[in-house]
Amino acid sequence: MSPGARVDSVPLPPADAQRFDTVCQFCIVGCGYKVFKWPVGHDGGPEAGRNALGVDYTRPLPPLGEWISTAMHSVVTEKDTRRYNVVIVPDKGCVVNEGLASVRGGGLAQTLFSRDRATRARLTQPLILQKRSHVPIAWDAAVDLGARVIKAVMDRWGPDAVGMKFFDHGGGGGGFEANWAVGRFFFSGVGTRTASIHNRPAYNSEVHAAGDAGVAALTNAYADAELADTIVLVGSNAYETQTNYFLVHMVPNLNGNTLERKRQTFAGESVEAARIIIVDPRRTMTVATAEAAATPERVLHLQIEPGADIALLNAIGRVILERRWYDVGFIGDRTEGQTFEAYQRSTLAIDRPLADVVGEAVRIAGIPATQIYKAAEWIAAPKRDESRRRTLFHYEKGLIWGLKNYENVAAIVDLALLTGNIGKPGTGCSRMGGHQEGYVRPAYPGGRPALNVDEAVRRGEVKSFWIGGCNPVLTTLNAAAMETALKERGAVVQSALDRTEGRPVGERVARIVDALKLGGMFVLAQDIYMTATTRYAHLILPAAQWGEVNLTSINGERRLRLYQRFMDPPGEAIPDWEIMARFGRRLRGLYLEDNNPQIANRFLDFTWKTDEDVFIHARYQFKGDGSDPIEGYAGVTYDLLRRLGTNGIQTPTRIVNRVPVPTVRVHEDGRFFTPSGKARFIPAPQPWPGYAAKVAAQRAQFPFWVNNGRTNHIWQTLYHHQHVPFYAEHNPMPHLEMHPADAARLGIASGDLVELSNDVGRVRAMAYVTDAVKRGHTFMLFGQPRGAAGDLVSDHVDPATTIPYYKGAWAAIRRVGPQPEIQRTLSFLPQNVAR
Amino acid sequence: MPTRRDFLKLGSAGVAGFVATPSPAPSPSAAAGPSRYPVVTIAALKDVGIGAVIAFAYPDGQSPAMLLRLAAPAVGGVGPNREIVAYSTLCTHKGCPVAYKPERKMLICPCHWSTFDPAKAGALVIGQASQQLPQIELRVDNGMVQAVGVAGLIYGRHTNVV
Repeated sequence: MSPGARVDSVPLPPADAQRFDTVCQFCIVGCGYKVFKWPVGHDGGPEAGRNALGVDYTRPLPPLGEWISTAMHSVVTEKDTRRYNVVIVPDKGCVVNEGLASVRGGGLAQTLFSRDRATRARLTQPLILQKRSHVPIAWDAAVDLGARVIKAVMDRWGPDAVGMKFFDHGGGGGGFEANWAVGRFFFSGVGTRTASIHNRPAYNSEVHAAGDAGVAALTNAYADAELADTIVLVGSNAYETQTNYFLVHMVPNLNGNTLERKRQTFAGESVEAARIIIVDPRRTMTVATAEAAATPERVLHLQIEPGADIALLNAIGRVILERRWYDVGFIGDRTEGQTFEAYQRSTLAIDRPLADVVGEAVRIAGIPATQIYKAAEWIAAPKRDESRRRTLFHYEKGLIWGLKNYENVAAIVDLALLTGNIGKPGTGCSRMGGHQEGYVRPAYPGGRPALNVDEAVRRGEVKSFWIGGCNPVLTTLNAAAMETALKERGAVVQSALDRTEGRPVGERVARIVDALKLGGMFVLAQDIYMTATTRYAHLILPAAQWGEVNLTSINGERRLRLYQRFMDPPGEAIPDWEIMARFGRRLRGLYLEDNNPQIANRFLDFTWKTDEDVFIHARYQFKGDGSDPIEGYAGVTYDLLRRLGTNGIQTPTRIVNRVPVPTVRVHEDGRFFTPSGKARFIPAPQPWPGYAAKVAAQRAQFPFWVNNGRTNHIWQTLYHHQHVPFYAEHNPMPHLEMHPADAARLGIASGDLVELSNDVGRVRAMAYVTDAVKRGHTFMLFGQPRGAAGDLVSDHVDPATTIPYYKGAWAAIRRVGPQPEIQRTLSFLPQNVAR
Repeated sequence: MPTRRDFLKLGSAGVAGFVATPSPAPSPSAAAGPSRYPVVTIAALKDVGIGAVIAFAYPDGQSPAMLLRLAAPAVGGVGPNREIVAYSTLCTHKGCPVAYKPERKMLICPCHWSTFDPAKAGALVIGQASQQLPQIELRVDNGMVQAVGVAGLIYGRHTNVV
């Protein structure tokens, strides 16, 4: 039982409490929240007039009321040492979540720095690795040392020897401001191509195929899920990981509660409650809740074999072609004709009989032909009145981290183009998203396919490696090899640091450069907590987090909002953009001292005073002309966003009569992001490419497929949640879902410690026996501090995109032993039951 | 303050959807020690058979709760095999009444499908609540099962005992 469980009251904010608008720091959906803050000891009262919510708490609230759970409150200490209560509740006025919290958002207050709780583990001072431990160093000294090492690396080995792996997202640990500053530093300033994005080994799009087709990554509005005839989810466990998009916008359509709105929006068109197709190798809670909402007859769960998405989606496309259910008008007017011909010929294999193509998909995907035909019908068969079916396609990591990233994404985008389901109400083709977005950066100087930074680190080509707001030791592929490189190459530099302790900085840098010549690597890490990665850093730079800075981000329907600062960062932590600015100014100074104004002038812009300075700078430099398909924010200011609160404005914005105007739905004007303005089908060489050799060999050698990903309770690497008992105790280890028959054969019970091993590595997990997975399939929580699924993932990447096949690991499993206390206290009831 | 009549009405009607044996009236709040919580007798231990589901209200008439006798020992359980537990039945997500599904050994909320494990102190199995289900603290005194406290804040309240 968590310590918080016994709390049986919460303080109420007084009527004069400070109020702030914010957005959840976690998943892509970006639910709106209200923040109340007031000094400890000055609580409000239960009468409506005596509390800031204006709610009558003198009697119990009815269901769906504005209740403050104990997780929604915490006490924080500001820099002036005064203690304040903070309450963070879901905003019923926000159109995204309409007052609902997810399990993650409900605990936002628990993530705040507090001297009374485990979040006191936050990094509060810059640290330097000295002998066996990290010891404090002044900011100026840390910046001076780090900047001098980076300059030395640039001068001796060139900019590509300066490696980085950084966040590029919105929400917590990201935002337009932080992203712009990072991009200005590394791309405009250093000019390195050895860059990679937080969750992958390179600097690349996860959806290159959509980009090449001219289709935006986030096309639709969440309201389209209320209007669609059919919703298609490929590799997305929405109930658990995009919760309130599913609960607030999809469920009402599945249970018929949006019929009246559909009638009004589509006058004269036949409407009914939505159907949903879920392509997922697991019977997830999303499947169970969809069936509970929609009745099972309107839910089609395609329980696919690993790596088979391309075969399945292309077979569905072929059926649609054969049945003449494709959108002739859309294809003729809105797509480049020769690409449609190539798509039919190679991807849909029109020279082969239909039964052949479908039969091949049945064999590869393990899905009956009847379900493939039914899926085609639900996606594209005309409605009762012969009007076109409105189908909304969504895809996420199950597809993106799949067999072959480029062809996987091409397969679903092509299907949306074939059926004309982009740019109209009730339609769309969008990734669901993991984290929020806010990609605002100067152009990456490298080419495509992007350079594999993990490999460059292992080979010793990276002389300084700056890791910002991410944790590759837990999340990258072949993760143990990354850890070994950090440890071994870092140790060479550490001995130089130890030998020069207390010596002038010039001498220290000279000895560090000597170490780099011997294969060493200087590691900087910028984060909010000590992590499995930061422990190898020579310099640790403490960053401010969500709530301690103003930041802006967009959600999965491109809703741009201001996440207001409502408390001080702890200790000496500062915003990410300010860390980059300090380094930028120092590098400029060092190059001026070196009489090199040319390079010095690449570090010109780092004089921002406030977060809004960075926001506006990025707008003028990059995203402000309205032509960007996703984040362009012409005319938007903090002041405007303050007025728009948790509903914000949907990007891209354009200026009409001097006022920024939102884009509810991208491509509604019929134009796509290609030179011709028409979309392109992306043809694949054949309906299914097969497994890459390295993956095929592993698959042949080891009996269990180890799928991996996120779950309902846990955000990413648990960087916050490991410090909050309610979440940490739910997942004390990475759990491993196993089929009951497989578990029985190996003598494994729920809660047992198990070991997974293959040719790449080994890792331990906690067994969780469930029929959610098929026999021979397993599913492991990814990136858990006590076990990284990436330790089993081979270094294979899609050669076209440098995107890994993270979901493609096979391993042997053995029982290690019981865990009696975990088995006594933790629940192992099924997590996919809704009725 | 709710009257005893209110209590009886809400105690049986407040949690619909499953069979409830009639719950006896609470003993007048003979508070134990310094606790703000009343002591409420729910049933005689001999009348609580395995599989029993008894609706009652605690700590006052407007707070529906449920006593369960499970088939195996439970965290926080009382009785001969520590298998008797009780919970507030208002979901800690948005306050809808949770239902006990004996065949699944699970409490399920019909609104947004949060599920709770009655054998594990009301832990959230999966779903969107940000607290476990408040567990009613029980004791057996003179052959009677009594509620004596609540671990966790009950939905809809800023404090359990108003």
